[in-house]
Parts: sequence; structure tokens; C-alpha cells
Amino acid sequence: MQSIKVAVFLLLTIFLCGCVGTGSEVNKEISLPGLEKADPNGKLVFALGGEVSILNPILSTDTTSSAVEGTIFSGMTRINEKLEVIPDLAKSWQVSKDGKTWTFYLRQDVKWHDDKPFTADDVVFTFNAILNPKVNSVRRSDYIIDGQPIQFRALDKYTVQAALPKPFAPFLVRSGMSVIPKHLLAGKDINTAKFNRQPVGTGPFIFKEWVTGNHLKVSRNNNFYRGKPRLAEIIFKIIPDANACLVALEAGEIDEAGIPPKDYRRMKSLKGINVFEFDSLVYTYLGLNIANPKFADKRVRQALAYATNKKQLVNLVLKGLGSAAYAPSAPISWAYSDQVEKYPYHPDKAKQLLKEAGAENLEFTILLNQGNKEREKAAVILQQQYKKVGVKVKLRVLEWSALLKIVNVPKGPKDFEAFIMGWSLGLDPDAYSIWHSSQYPRGFNFIDYKNAKVDKLLKLGRVTMDKSARKKIYAEIWQQIAADQPYVFLWYPRAVVGINERVGGLSKPGPAGLFLNLEKVFVVK
Amino acid sequence: MRTFVIRRLLQLIPLLLGVSLISFFVMHLAPGDPTALFTDPSIDPIELARIRANWGLDQPVIIQYFYWLGNVLRGNFGTSYLTGRPVLAEVIERLPATLLLMIPAYLITLLITIPLGVFSAIKKGSWFDNVVTVLTFIGMAMPSFWLGLMLMLLFSVQLGWLPTVGMRDVLAGNQGPVASFIDLIKHMILPLTTMTILSLAGLSRYQRAAMLEVMDQDYIRTARAKGLPERTVIFKHALRNALIPIVTIMGLSLPGLFGGAFIIETIFAWPGMGRLGVLAIFQRNYPLIMGIVVFSALLIMLGNLLADIGYALVDPRIRYGKK
Repeated sequence: MQSIKVAVFLLLTIFLCGCVGTGSEVNKEISLPGLEKADPNGKLVFALGGEVSILNPILSTDTTSSAVEGTIFSGMTRINEKLEVIPDLAKSWQVSKDGKTWTFYLRQDVKWHDDKPFTADDVVFTFNAILNPKVNSVRRSDYIIDGQPIQFRALDKYTVQAALPKPFAPFLVRSGMSVIPKHLLAGKDINTAKFNRQPVGTGPFIFKEWVTGNHLKVSRNNNFYRGKPRLAEIIFKIIPDANACLVALEAGEIDEAGIPPKDYRRMKSLKGINVFEFDSLVYTYLGLNIANPKFADKRVRQALAYATNKKQLVNLVLKGLGSAAYAPSAPISWAYSDQVEKYPYHPDKAKQLLKEAGAENLEFTILLNQGNKEREKAAVILQQQYKKVGVKVKLRVLEWSALLKIVNVPKGPKDFEAFIMGWSLGLDPDAYSIWHSSQYPRGFNFIDYKNAKVDKLLKLGRVTMDKSARKKIYAEIWQQIAADQPYVFLWYPRAVVGINERVGGLSKPGPAGLFLNLEKVFVVK
Repeated sequence: MRTFVIRRLLQLIPLLLGVSLISFFVMHLAPGDPTALFTDPSIDPIELARIRANWGLDQPVIIQYFYWLGNVLRGNFGTSYLTGRPVLAEVIERLPATLLLMIPAYLITLLITIPLGVFSAIKKGSWFDNVVTVLTFIGMAMPSFWLGLMLMLLFSVQLGWLPTVGMRDVLAGNQGPVASFIDLIKHMILPLTTMTILSLAGLSRYQRAAMLEVMDQDYIRTARAKGLPERTVIFKHALRNALIPIVTIMGLSLPGLFGGAFIIETIFAWPGMGRLGVLAIFQRNYPLIMGIVVFSALLIMLGNLLADIGYALVDPRIRYGKK
């Protein structure tokens, strides 16, 4: 037995020596290389955390596929660092006074990667393909308003008109859908077309190679309309394991990797890697099933909010890389408002509210998905925090699909009490599908939230075109939802990304990412 | 022997049908369906119902099964929901990478474990036996993902000798055949080492136990009594008998070669079958799951058949086809 212990000790020593980084703990400045050192034949290596399934922007449903599509395709509009919609394939656009007719004027200097000219027909073809019920596109409902599809037509070779059945503010963001070529897909079964594995787009890079499960390559589009890209090639390497991905970044084999809170300090101390932090349009929450008698009383939900020490959660779960959340919007969204009830940590108040509601002996189960370390930690901490106010919490960890099956079942009343999940917010503040009472039980209003005022405002927010008027509407919505507290809002995580020092030309760190202007990104020799 | 093999091959047909029927139903028992993963608040649930109907998922499971079976009998395993490509193509595409990793791992393990187990048994209680025992227990106790990451940190980050992940150097342009072969070997070293260290442990223990048991048999005593040299006793009389349990285990692990090794493939970003299968299950990609199930069932059955034939080769007491 003694010999085993010695051997284990020796082995551990060997491996631990391998782990200790070379640099000491330093909070170094970000150093970006100058453009003069750019390598004209430079190749950038991105890591992808999952398999790429399909390279057709109207069909793909996973972020991995979208990441690659973003280099190959482009849309009529795109977003800038401030998350504003700006021209891309369309030079400009105008909206009629009644908000129902949108006219887009397209660039005339754009060619597909196979040298065929890009025209209004391609745009109309793309939206009609999405609207075709035979095409398995989940984006179809983006272009259907109250059951009626938006009508797209080409006014001439470079003008597209969209006729909406009624005014619909979120349409502007949705006009940025990537365009697919009519000349390669017309008359084909888009679901199974060969195109989906060898795509042709109008974006800064041309599809070159896809070795399934291993890597993909795209190469420079010399005729790109926003200017010739500085990189000769981008390689996407598929690395499913997050730890292996960090090791590959450290070894210099990939140029970018997301950094989880646990590795933040170590990665920050490493030489040769710039660590960027920025806010993201994401929030994590504890959803409370209002259809369940335990949470029908607003005071119970508010009590749980008072019993939640959000600061402690952010410190323990995210190691401080995030901030407490109070509303179903994010501080970086233009529609965010701070004027909401924040329920500061106050266990005594929580106890009092529970007593008033007659729920002193509250017991409930939180569902969460297996494999999400942050949510697993948060659930255990919440369990402890709620214990302090006399609330007993049980945890049930489920596989992702199994969890969704329970909260997303299309029949009410749903059979669960509470769950932890997160929402990625869209660029438009419209939150109809999450909060409107019509979205329960079929829809994403998982917890049966019903408030006539919010219902009315959500509808108004969609048809109001004026941005400042919309901002007021959403401020009112957030305020009402925070008052009703159907979710206990937990935190906004900060995105942390490590990038090899040889990469330059990045955009300003922000929720839109660092590679917003991909054609400007370069690597040094 | 030939009738035995033919009979066993014919038995495959009802077995495969049974396997496919049961797995089809079990698969549909798992909660969720392929569209459940599209939880994007901007997607209208009506669209998901439409897509499910396009995939035929609105039909009763039994109808779906016969529809699937009908297509399979015509050689069509369907298309993967997420990629829109034929299932068979997706499965076969993963084979080379899988076998490239699994076969060498299998052979290296065999080459190391058999002598290791045999010598441990012969030298039972010696320092050699003790060291092997300790090391194999350590090997057994280490989680593969941990060992893989540690090897990577040591050999790739600290020493810079070997690449971390993947199958090839993605930055290198068109290499010659020799250069790309060397590149491939470099990428194989770490995953192979990890796999071998982990599987060494179990197998060498089996071999040691089997050898110890045989060494106690009467015929070994007889062989020694005849005055045969110790070499002949061990390698001709003992080893051949001690191989029988190993042949069983190796035969049973044959189908694993095609199934790949999920954890190793994930850590080392190796594009093998294991990752494909687990992902298909998470995504509830029914046609792909069924394709993999039928394919692996077939391989398991063939693996068992090979193991049975293997017995006959090593063990003179077992002969098939004669009654």
C-alpha cells in the first residue's frame, strides 16, 4: 500500500509540474500589433466547440454553423459595435409613413463567389425560400406577422420591397438575414441540396474545404465589396472539449478561445495571449411556475427575490465576472431601463413576505440541465440562501432535452415548480414570445406569466417605429415584470475571450464580438 | 465449420430486426424530440410542428418504424435531420478516422498486455510483478480526460514536442505524402498513449489471472515432469490455454473499435464515430441514431462470431460443426 501512495505522489508531482504556467500573476495591458506588420498570407485559426451541421444560413440552427456562415454570407443589413443596424448589401432603405412598406436599395457592385452578379432576385428568393413550408427553416416565423407572411418583391434589378401586413418594428433587425444565391438553388430541394456543404455566398471569405469533424477552411474573397480582406485564410478547427481548447490556445495552435471564470486568472497571466472582457446580451434566471399553486402568490416570488444574494452568486459562480440582473433586458441593450424594483438582499423581509403569504414552510424543486457547471453551482448556492429564510429546495439535474421536454410541453398546467435557464436576447428588445400571455402553454412563456398591461405594451412595442417611444414602452414593461417577479433574475455574465497576440484589426470589444469587421482582421508574421 | 458460420450469419437477420425494433421504440421513449433543441424565443412553436411533420414525426411510432424499415430494405437509411445528408454517408465518413485510432490502440494494447500479464504471473510476488500491479492500478484509476489533458500540457505546451488536438496540422498547406504521414503520426501519439495506458490496466490483470490459473493445472505439472524446458512449458503449454479468456475479451471489444471512444475523441478533437453517436443522441437525430445502432449491432454480432472462431483456433477442445 505504501508503494502505491509513493507512486501516486510521484506521478502527481510530475503532472503538476507540467501545469504550472511560466508567467507570474500579472495584469498586463492588451497589446495589439500594428497594421504595418500584417502578414499578407496570414492565416487565422478559430476553434469551434461543436460540429458544424450545415452551411446554409436559412437552415442552420446551431451557433457553430452560424459562426462559419458569418464569414461566407452577408445580408442586406448588419450591426455595428453599438448594436445599431447599418447598411451591408443594401446601400440604404426607407420605410413608408404607415410603417408597412420597406424599400431596400441594393449595392450594384456585388458578385457571388462564383462571379455571378448579386441582384434583388436573390434577396426575394431567399425570403421566399424561408417562407416556403416545405423548407425546414426555423426562421419562417420571423417573417410572418399575425399569421400573414411578409410579401417580398423585386421592384427592379437592385431594389427590393417588403410589404408587411402591419407595422412591425423588429423587422429591421430581421432584414439582416444572410442571402443565398437563386442561381444555384432555384428548383432544388433546399433541405438536402449539395450546396449546404459547399456554399457560395457574397461574404468576405470563400468556402474552401470541410473535413467533417476536424476542420473547415475559407479563403480570401479578393472582390469583397467592403474591401479586400487582410487575412488569406481562416481555419475553423473543431475542438469539442473546452479544456482542450484552452490548452490549444496556450500552445499557439488556435488564435481564439472563450475563457470560463475558473481559468480567468491563469489565462490572464500567460504571455502571448490578450484577454478581452465585455458584456453580453444574455441573462440567467430562476423561473417560477406561476401556474403551480406554490408560486401563484406574487409575495412568495418577491420573497425569493429578497432571499437571493445575487452579489454572492456572481462572486462564487462567476468569480466576479458578471453582474446582478434585475430585469429581463440587459444593461447594454438600448432598451434597458434601470427603473425597476431591485429586491436588494434582505432575508428578514423575505421571511415576512412568506409569512404574510402563508408559505413559511415552502418547499420546491429546481430543475436544471446537466453539464452546465455555472448553473449547477448556482443551484447549490440558492439552496443554501433559501434555507436561511426557511425555504427547502431540492435540486433535480436533467439532460438538456429532458429538461426542455418538461418546461416546454405544449399543454398546461405544466408539471414543474422552478428551473434555472438563461435567455440570449435578440438585438431587438421585442420580448413578445417570452412574456405575452398567448405564448403559454405553447411557446416560450414557460411559467404562465399573465399581465394585461404587459400584453398590451408588448403589442404596442412591436408596432411603434419611433425608437425613443419604444424605449419608454419597454422601460414600462421591464418595470411591471420586475414588480411581478415571475423569474428571479440572477446575473449577466461577462464574456471573456482570449486571443493570441499576433491577431490585430479587432473591433471594439462588445456584445457584437471582436470580429465584426472580419475583412480588417490580420495576423502578423 | 462452414455450416456453423453460415448458420450464424443467417441468425443475424432476425437478430438485427429485433434490435432495430427495440431501439427504435426505446429511442422514442427518451424525452424530447429533434426540434426541442431549437429554443430560440423568436421561433414560433407552429413552425416547429411544421418541421416535425415534414420529418414524419407526427405519425405514430409504429408507422414511423415500418416506414423506416421499408426504406432501409431498399438501402436507404434516411437523411440526418441537422445536416440533410444521407445517414450512411455520415457514418461511413467517420470510419477511417475511427479505425486509424482504434486499431493501433488495440494492437499496441495486445502487444504490451500479454507479455506483461504473462511475466507478472510467472514472476508472481517479485518486484517486477509489484511494480506492474501498482502501475496498472494507477492506470485504472486515472480518468481519461484528465490523463489526456495532462499529457497535452506536458508534451504540447511545456515541451512543445507534439500537437495538442486534431488529426492534422491545419496550417500546413499541401504536404507531400511522407510529410503528411509524419504529421498524422505526431497527432496520433497522445491519444494513442492515453488509450493504451488506460486499457493496459484491465487487460494485463486478466492475462495475469488466466496465466496463474493455468500454471496450477495438472498438464503443466505433467509437462514439467516430462523434463521439458521451462520455455516450452510456458509458451507452448501454458500460454496457449491462458489466451482463451483474453480472446473472449478482445473479441467482445472488437465492435468497440468501430464505435470509437467518445471521451478520447472529445478531448483530442478526433473526428471519430464516438462523437458522432453521442451528438446524435443529444440532438435526438433519429435517423442517424438508428443508422449507428444497426451498424454497431451488426459489428457486435460479427465480433462475437470472430471470437467463437478464434476459440477453435486456440483451443483444441473446441471444434464447431461436429456433433
